[in-house]
Amino acid sequence: MISCGKQRPQDESLEQCNSVYYWRTDLRLDSTERAFLKQYNIKKVYCRYFDVVMGDNSAEPRPNATISFSDSLPDGIEIIPTIYITEDCMHKPHKDLAEKIVQRIRQMNETNNINNVHEIQIDCDYTSRSRKTYYKFLEEVVKLWKSKVSTTIRLHQLSMPVPPVDYGALMVYNTGDPRKWQERNPILDYRDVYPYLKHLDQYALPLAVAYPVYLWIRNIQNVRIEHSVDAAEILKVKHAMEKERPNLSSSIITYHLETDNINRYKTETYEEIYRH
Amino acid sequence: MKKFIVISLFSVFSLPMMACLWWDTSNPYLFSMYKQDDFKNRVERVCNDNWKAYLGSTEEYFWFNADDAIKAARQKGDALMVSYLQNLKKYLNCVDIEQRKQYEWNYPTANDIAAQKRDLQAVRTYAFSKVKTKLRSQHALLYMRCNMMMGRHQDNINFWQQSACNFIETVYKDMMKNIYAGALYKTGREAEAGEMFAEMDDYESLMTIYYKKRSYLAISQQYKQNPNAKVLPFLLQDFVNNAQEAEDAKTGSMGGKLFIRDINQQESWQMQQFCELVVREGKTEAPAMWKAAKAWLEYLSGKKQEALKDIDAAMTLDGTERMKDNVRVLKLYITAAQAKPSDSFDKYLANELEWFKQKEKEDEFFGRAQTRIMRQTIFQHYIDKPEQRLALMCITHDYQYEQAIDTMRVDLLEKFYTYSKSPAKKDFDKYLKSQMQTNDSAIVELIGTKYMRMANWGKAIEWLKNIPVSYYNNNRSRGYLYYSLLRKYDVEPWITRQWLREDEAWEKNLKWWKNVKLDFCKEMQMLESSLNLLQGKALEQRYYNLAVRYAQANIKGDCWWLMREAKNCYDTVRVNEVDLGARAIEYLQKAALSNDNDLKIKALFAMGYRELYNNKNGKSLWTDMVWDEAKTDYVRKYYRQSPQFRAFQALYDMVNGAKEPTYVTKCDEFDQFRSYYRQHK
Repeated sequence: MISCGKQRPQDESLEQCNSVYYWRTDLRLDSTERAFLKQYNIKKVYCRYFDVVMGDNSAEPRPNATISFSDSLPDGIEIIPTIYITEDCMHKPHKDLAEKIVQRIRQMNETNNINNVHEIQIDCDYTSRSRKTYYKFLEEVVKLWKSKVSTTIRLHQLSMPVPPVDYGALMVYNTGDPRKWQERNPILDYRDVYPYLKHLDQYALPLAVAYPVYLWIRNIQNVRIEHSVDAAEILKVKHAMEKERPNLSSSIITYHLETDNINRYKTETYEEIYRH
Repeated sequence: MKKFIVISLFSVFSLPMMACLWWDTSNPYLFSMYKQDDFKNRVERVCNDNWKAYLGSTEEYFWFNADDAIKAARQKGDALMVSYLQNLKKYLNCVDIEQRKQYEWNYPTANDIAAQKRDLQAVRTYAFSKVKTKLRSQHALLYMRCNMMMGRHQDNINFWQQSACNFIETVYKDMMKNIYAGALYKTGREAEAGEMFAEMDDYESLMTIYYKKRSYLAISQQYKQNPNAKVLPFLLQDFVNNAQEAEDAKTGSMGGKLFIRDINQQESWQMQQFCELVVREGKTEAPAMWKAAKAWLEYLSGKKQEALKDIDAAMTLDGTERMKDNVRVLKLYITAAQAKPSDSFDKYLANELEWFKQKEKEDEFFGRAQTRIMRQTIFQHYIDKPEQRLALMCITHDYQYEQAIDTMRVDLLEKFYTYSKSPAKKDFDKYLKSQMQTNDSAIVELIGTKYMRMANWGKAIEWLKNIPVSYYNNNRSRGYLYYSLLRKYDVEPWITRQWLREDEAWEKNLKWWKNVKLDFCKEMQMLESSLNLLQGKALEQRYYNLAVRYAQANIKGDCWWLMREAKNCYDTVRVNEVDLGARAIEYLQKAALSNDNDLKIKALFAMGYRELYNNKNGKSLWTDMVWDEAKTDYVRKYYRQSPQFRAFQALYDMVNGAKEPTYVTKCDEFDQFRSYYRQHK
């Protein structure tokens, strides 16, 4: 139904690239993870540096759960510091927050001898209440960082005006209601993505896409419930999205790098996820 | 001294964990056999009291300030204390650097980290040289802290065993012992460390050690080694609470507390058998705890009769005072879940609620436990006594109280209002009324609003007329006041949507100056009561005007604030309420019979407004995307018999070929209909 002619030109500014998220509190890679990076030609690792949360009894946000660097990434792989900010931090503007974050990222790089960092990503589940404050904050980050800045985009945020960054990383996971796990997979179900497909074509910001490969373990009715997404479902969503906006195949991220996640899917599945 | 504790745990507490793993839940655990007087908080309290005494202060001491303490020591001519404090300050700076890595904006530089290493070494050397002075405990602690941060755990073990263990009992010795236990753990002597952490109530360190050793098998082995091991209450409590977490997940509670462990029915059953064995063996000093664990696990497994028998037995067994209190809590839960309504149960409950009120002051556990018991057993027990049930929700400050009165039938709420105002006949009612603190205006306003939801304007006016405007200004959110003042109920929603900037709602501070809801009721009453006085065009126009107001007051209308305090896109028309959208359509159908083409077009166009169709089950809309199982995709369906289709069809016939109003031309939905209908007449 949608022709390639409707493609937003902005996507072309995104280079073709395979990436992963790294979401643990210590940067330490085992041999499987290193092999994965090589096998799938991963060029970027979006590495969570720290969270920003509202402190207990505090009116100001503060860093939390900062990563330690016990290891480093293999040569040739770019690290992209990623900062997760809780939504309540954006309920009102906080003076110098952007500066504090940018400065902290720079210092972490310097102290830990992490060089050649060109890009950062900010992750926040902003809502209509916090959007304005968040976008102003992003403008400051862009000004201070002076290089590439991206932000995560959740599906429900596709209907809002675009954020003032270089590109967005569309998070295609956590799409369902965890309480209705028997009806739909809470991590990813095509039916939950479907209502948002119509926004893709018109979304005026270059988009990378992040797909889930993780496992979510819960204990329900005395039974260990493991939520993970079938390869077929991930690929179905990928194909539906790329049909609406073909260049979404350009920059692909998987969430997140971990040996168990690597072993969960066949090589063919990863090859298909990372197919451009 | 706070920083000592933090860094102490930091070095011991090193669970493998993901970022952002935890979120709060509302399912408090009922099995709580010891008061959570955590080591960390306890030593901090004592240290603060010590400094308060040293400084001769009369005010509460919260934060250790080295400079203040140094100043005070100098004034006292206490040279040894001055040098100790100077080195302590240096040590705390080293801790700060560690903290800055995690939680502060000023992440340390490479130079900071190099200086930290140097300073630690210097402080360590200084402290060791002073362990035979009169401040030996303080210096010994400082020495052990430095060792801990430098990873010199064997040095700490040797030092504790050779000298520090013989020091006099002080809080500093407690802290040294905690560091020693951490050193044992770090050097592989987990069991000894565990027993010491349990003795000290250091739960976080305990969880680090036992994270992967919390199964029935691990607990039973622990018991076999020592039936009164200090770690057993911690492990048993963790086991039972994990079993409760699994049960909670059944009822939709999300779970998700930290360190959750899977416990299946089989393992729970094994633990029940084991608890019985422990009680029978008679080696334990706390049979009440084991018996209660058995009872609660039985209850969670659905064996309610056995649970009742066992919890009654637990009431007679030995244990600490806290254990006995916990057994009493569990007894109320298990009893209430099975008891038949009776005066004696009422009396028992009133007595227990009073007990909870006292206990809550001692420990937050009792408040949380009461909430759970009320929600899961007591409210259900009083299901056939709605006034008492509501009163119980009210006196225990349960959030369900607000929800219940908002959704219940208006006559039942009126009955509750009367109940709350009339003198009590029975003791239990007397007790409930003595505890109730209700806001009369809130109930009266809600009764009025409920009549509005039923489109009973006369009764609504009767209840709302005495509510002062200040009630709304004081009890409604800024968002509510903003929407209610800026959105008008006489605007045709199918022609003009009253979009507002949601973010402005938080910035503006608007206030009511008149009761807008009352005005609406009066206007609706006037418009409907005079219908039979009108005829012809005036009557048709009146139908249309009424439809506009019903559409606005509808759950999907712009003026949702008339019937609700807030709007949610998932809201639906509830039982006990009139479908105001459907009422608007009834009036529009009458208006559409008009011979006035303009009015007829408007009415037909309005009937195509999808926000009027609250009930989607009857396929009211002309088209929809529907999930197709066979195709595993959404497919478009058309419903030619739907009211919206028929309205658009009639509108199409009216405007086809004729000059149509702009609002029709600009309507995307009608445009889509027109494209479809042209090809599928």
